Amino acid sequence: MTRLLVLIALVAPAALAHDFWIEPSTFQPAAATTITASLRVGEDFLGDPVPRNSALIDAFVVRDIASERPVPGVENRHPAGIVRVGNGTSVIHYRGKGSLLEQTPEKFAAFLFEEGLEHVARASRRPHRERFYRYAKTIVGRGPGFDTQFGDRLELVPLLDPRVSDRVCFRLLFEGRPLANALVAAIARDDGRRFAARTDRDGKVAITLPPDGVWLVKSTHLVAAPPSSGAEWESLWASVTFSR
Amino acid sequence: MGVPVGIRHLLALILLATPALGHELGTTRVHAVLTDETYTIDVLADRETLQRRLARRPGTFRDVADIRFGERRVIPEVALLADRVRYSGPLQPGAFTWRFELVSTRYPLTIDARGERVTQWIDGDARSAPFTRRMSFREYLVLGFTHILPLGADHILFVLGMFLLTRRTRDVLAQVTAFTVAHSITLALSIYGVVSVPASIVEPLIALSIVFIAVENLIVREVRPRRVLLVFAFGLLHGLGFAGVLRELGGDFIRALVAFNLGVELGQLAVIALAWLLLTSWSRHHTWYRQRVLVPASLTIAAAGLFWMLERVQS
Repeated sequence: MTRLLVLIALVAPAALAHDFWIEPSTFQPAAATTITASLRVGEDFLGDPVPRNSALIDAFVVRDIASERPVPGVENRHPAGIVRVGNGTSVIHYRGKGSLLEQTPEKFAAFLFEEGLEHVARASRRPHRERFYRYAKTIVGRGPGFDTQFGDRLELVPLLDPRVSDRVCFRLLFEGRPLANALVAAIARDDGRRFAARTDRDGKVAITLPPDGVWLVKSTHLVAAPPSSGAEWESLWASVTFSR
Repeated sequence: MGVPVGIRHLLALILLATPALGHELGTTRVHAVLTDETYTIDVLADRETLQRRLARRPGTFRDVADIRFGERRVIPEVALLADRVRYSGPLQPGAFTWRFELVSTRYPLTIDARGERVTQWIDGDARSAPFTRRMSFREYLVLGFTHILPLGADHILFVLGMFLLTRRTRDVLAQVTAFTVAHSITLALSIYGVVSVPASIVEPLIALSIVFIAVENLIVREVRPRRVLLVFAFGLLHGLGFAGVLRELGGDFIRALVAFNLGVELGQLAVIALAWLLLTSWSRHHTWYRQRVLVPASLTIAAAGLFWMLERVQS
């Protein structure tokens, strides 16, 4: 089964929908050091650097046991953020403002298939606009605090520490409530290996992962956009990155 | 003099920073330079990401860049330079488009061609909008010339048919001038959209004009004003035919019109000059010129015209 999934990842056609995640310069920083946080857009955990663009940032913060602080950075520069980390676990969080995307019927159909959203929306017959929102987290350091929540519209909350547990276990929340039957995928940075499962009625999902490597866990949800918002759909992209 | 290139680029980017549709703006930049003979496309991107993406899929850097002129995809030379991947090759006719498969973010594609600069925003692996380069005066000139010699067999036969009737300089000049003025008029009018006649009508009529002029060679014996008028009328038709070629190319009309027309003229003069060289040296005696040259040649031309006409009506 794993082999089959890997194969699918390798022969997948040119990407249609792109994930968004945070890649820190290190997942195990020494205490009281400065690391960078890159924003990345891509597929199969292979992303293009995204320079800091304050027009798109709703929130860009780092939270640890002591406090929550904004992540500073230089406009239009990559890496987008510079983070001073303390002891223990730090979670860096990014919440984007919505951006518009033009969807063709073909791309939309492929997107629904790829993100496991075919039970949410039907393929459209004509091009339409979609507003997409990014919700990304990365967990660095060690110790408790990995399960801190930021109240994003779509949020993956770790129930076990994904850096150390055999099975990674997340609860997916949509507007604060568990979201059932949503596809959650875990992707390895080294080779794009992919493991996926759907959430249960409590929005919970458990995936057994190899004991090492850098991982991206992601899920995408789709909701009808409010009337006269200039878009027909809103897509919500949640991601968490961590190292095992 | 003036602003350094880097800052100019930056200014151009800021000026163009419109709220475009698509993914987040990445760090990738693509710069295409189209000269009269070559294209060079530089992809400035995060090299590590490119390499890793490439490693996970079949193919090479050559396969992930889809460069087209018109519908035709070209196979470029690829050079991996310190800070960029460079694609290059000989320029081809047709509108230029670009698609690059190894990028997920939105990026600017800057195209430089003959002093003109255009920037397009491309979202990830989407194809760019077609870019038509302005052709040079010389290129239009060559295009006009080759449209007669060697490509325009029908125009060649018409010009020959016109010339065969008489080799008196004055008569040749009168006909050539009438033809030129006429086709220049309709070429200009249809380029500017004043007249528009579909090729399905113009092309068979051009063939018919060849038959007509050749048959007339068999009937009349000298160039009269009526003949010049006829040539003028047919010239109007041929101009509509030339316009089709130019309209397909697009671009800068006035310059295209003048240069293309000049090319057509030179092509016609070349045909006449060749015919003159071949015929006048040994055909001074009018009696057998008519029998052995004019009649068989005109019949052949008429037959060719008839064949084209039937062929064009059918298609």
